[in-house]
Amino acid sequence: MALLQVENLGIGYQTAKGLLKAVDGVSFTLEAGRSLGLVGESGCGKTTIGMALMGLLPPNGRIIEGRIVLDGIEISALDEDELRKVRWSKVAMIFQAAMNALNPVKRISAQMAEAIQVHRPEVDDSAAMERVEGLFNLVGLPLERLYDFPHQYSGGMKQRAIIAMALALNPKLIIADEPTTALDVIVQDQILKETKALQEKFNIGIIFISHDISIVADVCHDIGVMYAGQLVEMGSAKDVFFNSQHPYTQALVSSFPTLAGPKTKLAPIPGEPPNLTGAIPGCRFCDRCPKDTASCKLEHPKWQEVGPGHHVLCDHC
Amino acid sequence: MNESRENKTILQMEGVSRFYRTRGNVFRGGGRLVVALSKINLSLRQGEIFGLVGESGSGKTTCGRLIVRLEEPDEGRITLGGEDITHLKGKRLREYRRQVQMVFQDPYQSLNPQVTIADSVAEPLITHKVGDPLDHLERVLRVLKTAGLSPPEDYVYRFPHQLSGGQRQRVAIARAIVLEPSLLVADEPTSMLDASYSAQIFEILQGVRDKLGATIMFITHSMASARYLCDRIGVIYRGHLVEQGPAEQVINAPKHPYTKALIDATPKFGRSELVPTYGTLLAAERPATSSAGCPFFRRCALAERLLCAGSYPPWRQVGPRQVALCHFAQEEVPPPPPAENAARGETGAP
Repeated sequence: MALLQVENLGIGYQTAKGLLKAVDGVSFTLEAGRSLGLVGESGCGKTTIGMALMGLLPPNGRIIEGRIVLDGIEISALDEDELRKVRWSKVAMIFQAAMNALNPVKRISAQMAEAIQVHRPEVDDSAAMERVEGLFNLVGLPLERLYDFPHQYSGGMKQRAIIAMALALNPKLIIADEPTTALDVIVQDQILKETKALQEKFNIGIIFISHDISIVADVCHDIGVMYAGQLVEMGSAKDVFFNSQHPYTQALVSSFPTLAGPKTKLAPIPGEPPNLTGAIPGCRFCDRCPKDTASCKLEHPKWQEVGPGHHVLCDHC
Repeated sequence: MNESRENKTILQMEGVSRFYRTRGNVFRGGGRLVVALSKINLSLRQGEIFGLVGESGSGKTTCGRLIVRLEEPDEGRITLGGEDITHLKGKRLREYRRQVQMVFQDPYQSLNPQVTIADSVAEPLITHKVGDPLDHLERVLRVLKTAGLSPPEDYVYRFPHQLSGGQRQRVAIARAIVLEPSLLVADEPTSMLDASYSAQIFEILQGVRDKLGATIMFITHSMASARYLCDRIGVIYRGHLVEQGPAEQVINAPKHPYTKALIDATPKFGRSELVPTYGTLLAAERPATSSAGCPFFRRCALAERLLCAGSYPPWRQVGPRQVALCHFAQEEVPPPPPAENAARGETGAP
């Protein structure tokens, strides 16, 4: 059985203007040891999915349909107490702003030991510290920096500490939400390589959330492209980026500057994504789509299989 | 781009340095001296887009701030069109700022949230007493259109919070070009934006160059964006300019080990098999014995202790119009240039 199964997931936020459906009809599966990249522009719902997988939706957000099954446990049906047992020990998250995710008045080692002991009360102090040292070695942090405070760390070191904390309880699934956005390219490259190596070593499933397609193309086995709350294209990294079928994926790829190959003119995507409050009858991309026809606005597009394991939510592909 | 325009130098920085003193505390007294920029020599040619590439803390933003004279250099000289502007004051500084404008990194912070778009964009006109106030709206509409906000009438009476990040950044550009400056410093204008919006910003900046004839300094950390947008690139490492040359050459045939390390680290997308791996970055920093040597000595895999730790490297001519600050950089035969027609189409130049 797959490590993670997401079926027809819909997540809504209660806002002053009514229910905003941030995620709509999203389904995917993830096997152990595989990595899935979720890409899309800001506001497309990728972080909301990550938060739902952790059971950390904000108070005005809730799962309105579908289910999330992780390792045989239906996460979407758990209450807060049961969630707390799953969280961090089965599924951990590397947050977007790692700089702010650490407690500034606590030494790094103490924070990590605390994270371990909160979830595993039977672990005594010395065993916890031993584990912390092991984690430091794992992510390449020097042991003499164990007792530092977060402000003494550089951005890359903080990110490493956050990754170490995510690994602390041997989770089966890690959600990495833009883990390298704030880092410089050289540090980013090191962190990505290490994350990939750790994932292979411990056979962890990773969901990698990013707006930067070049990063997910480098790191992930499979890619899901999101637009306005929906998955629109799904497949192996190679299929999605080098044989893109959905007009949105194609637009995304051609708006991205590259280091090599012919310097083709970048094609910006005209217009803005739709407002997600209220019902959208047809395809959500049709206002910005070059292939748009009259029927696109009226009917929901259907998933098409365009190649083995390569699916597209578009009636014209 | 025609030859005469390309060859005329508009801005020149000669041996420019900038130091900051860290704040001391009650126990230690005065702070430490931090070198933000060290002896930068740089010249921008009229009508070009020059990319300044480096990591955070490398001094690239400081360089931009010195050019628009938000700060004064501690050493060296900056000239614009032959006039020394290093220590301009008062009225003459105000006149200078009319010609040199800046687009800031974060469009969420660079626009006043209480002011309509029209007033924001017209503010420089009022400050500098340009034109008849009755004509301001017309000018605002015109620059909003140049900045890709059309129809501009839809935007003038909106407030920043009613716009997306990409639209705000376009307003910021409109505000910077409303005075028709001859030099525009764009400090990472796309780092906060999604890829589809960045492509729009690139297009607008190219339009500003082509239509207004402005020279642009584009500050970025992304080699790929610099390759796309810029005519020439300068690579900066810890306050030292380490390589400079035509964009295509610096990226396809980098000569400084740090430039090579940056290219190694950039996530490859597209034809990644075309980009070689250089492996010039040391995994761990090596201890430096003196500060006189090469700025990149501690991270450089090619460095030799005797030579590189002890003496500051010379500028070496490593290709046509390409220079690198490295003891080991050697003159190499550049790859054959692409066909003339293709090269023109690529840069989007008229």
